Amino acid sequence: MEPILLIVCVLAGGVLASLGVHLLPVGGAPAAMGTATGVATGTVMLMLGAAMCGLFTASSVAAFSDNILLVSLSGGVGSWLMMGVTMLMANLLYVFGTGIVPVSGRVDVDPITGESQKEYRTPQCDGHGVPNVSYISGMMGALLGGFGGAIMYFGLLNYANFEPTMAGVAATGIFVSNAIIAAYNIGGTIEGFQDPKFKRLPKALLTCGVISLLCGVLVWVVANLGGLGGTM
Amino acid sequence: MLFAWMLLIVVLALIACMFEDLESDVGSQSNPNSQVQLAPQVGQVNRFFNKAISGEAPAYAMYCTIAGVIAFVLLSKGAHPLLAIPIGAVVGEAVHVIFSVTAHVGRTAAQKRFEQPIYLDVLYGHLLPIATHGFMATLCITAIAYIQSNLGTLSGMSQLNHPFALPMLAFIWGITVGAIGSSTGDIHYGTEREFQDRPFGEGKRVVYHGKITRYAECGIRTQKDIVYFCAKYGGPITGLTFGLIILFENWRTLVGMMLGGYLPNIEAAAGNMAAIIGIVAGLAIGIALIVGNVVVVKWARKRYGPFVGE
Repeated sequence: MEPILLIVCVLAGGVLASLGVHLLPVGGAPAAMGTATGVATGTVMLMLGAAMCGLFTASSVAAFSDNILLVSLSGGVGSWLMMGVTMLMANLLYVFGTGIVPVSGRVDVDPITGESQKEYRTPQCDGHGVPNVSYISGMMGALLGGFGGAIMYFGLLNYANFEPTMAGVAATGIFVSNAIIAAYNIGGTIEGFQDPKFKRLPKALLTCGVISLLCGVLVWVVANLGGLGGTM
Repeated sequence: MLFAWMLLIVVLALIACMFEDLESDVGSQSNPNSQVQLAPQVGQVNRFFNKAISGEAPAYAMYCTIAGVIAFVLLSKGAHPLLAIPIGAVVGEAVHVIFSVTAHVGRTAAQKRFEQPIYLDVLYGHLLPIATHGFMATLCITAIAYIQSNLGTLSGMSQLNHPFALPMLAFIWGITVGAIGSSTGDIHYGTEREFQDRPFGEGKRVVYHGKITRYAECGIRTQKDIVYFCAKYGGPITGLTFGLIILFENWRTLVGMMLGGYLPNIEAAAGNMAAIIGIVAGLAIGIALIVGNVVVVKWARKRYGPFVGE
């Protein structure tokens, strides 16, 4: 039973990581100049930063709880808080440091709040700041991505019997590979679920599913070969 | 006692992320460096330091992990933490400076065809500020990793030591501090200070790209003129971001442990309840943050109004 649970955990973690990356508002280098909507850093770095926060909390919680849902949710909420604070502070910098109104570059009306975007946009810019729709999309993405990272950690810790630090390293490795696949699919910048690029999601999910499956099998083989923290 | 250690970690996190962001300004790392890189190609020869070793997150993960590993080895040999942690940070920074020199010289040499010289005074003059700012960040992160991995021992309940080893914690917070410094602090440098002679209050248009502000309040601008400006707003707010994240993360877990009955006597049966309370507290804080963003966006729209330029 344990090998199946391990592979399911890694598979779910990888697919959720990919989905989470697609939901984040990533502006990359143009966002640092206020030329694109989103957070001013790379896709993988942002997701990894959020997932690491989640992994820290998940590993703390895994020390006193053995419920897979609670540990994974703790990780998800850790990432959700990290993204929430980061995006809010980025907006405070945009608004009070540079005098820019957060606005979407891809939609004319915010689908959640119904606020008009077009007349607030600077010409020759693909939006700027983190508007409300991207903020909420980013929070959901972080929650899913963090949940994915934490469920992977839980699987490696309990079903592959890895030592905690080793489980953390392995979960990070598998997470990064999935995030990079998703980043290739996005190609630089994305605003969230309202962005037309979000429609490319199924291809990334399929690829990440295959890769995670491979990683899951590999982890099981490595764990059975021994040497990484115990017996099965 | 646990809460006291937690608050110490929060303060260290605040200092770490502030200096991390200021280091990325004084060394011009990360996203806004694309403009420094682009400038000579559009005829803007400049005296900026051009150091994009990699993204900030992997770079700081590397320095902090090196510092963490050295500190971990020294601690396991019986060294005192007050000695082991700074020595680790110094070694991390030595690697940082080596990368800074190779990155700057290599990148600038590659711009020879655009007639961008390598100014040796710029190279020598910026290495010390880079190393000192980076040292503060690495030192604080290593100290956080040390405290967290020994939290239980320090506060008298050895079960509460974090399950991860010190270098792994240094790696985690190195990645996170880099991701935050890159995503928050860069805006003040990239949008405002790099294009200070362009109109204020609008996104920087694509036609401006590469045409960075090359003259300072006095003389020709170098990275040292940038860091003092960003230290007034961009740096502190970046520090606040990481501080708040660490505060919320640790606080909700600790409050969950307290209210769930897990602490103070380590009741293993109460673990699940502690986790549930921690999750609910985290979700509540997140919803408050969403409301905060709605308020900020609404305020900005009302205060600044629609775009009125050309």
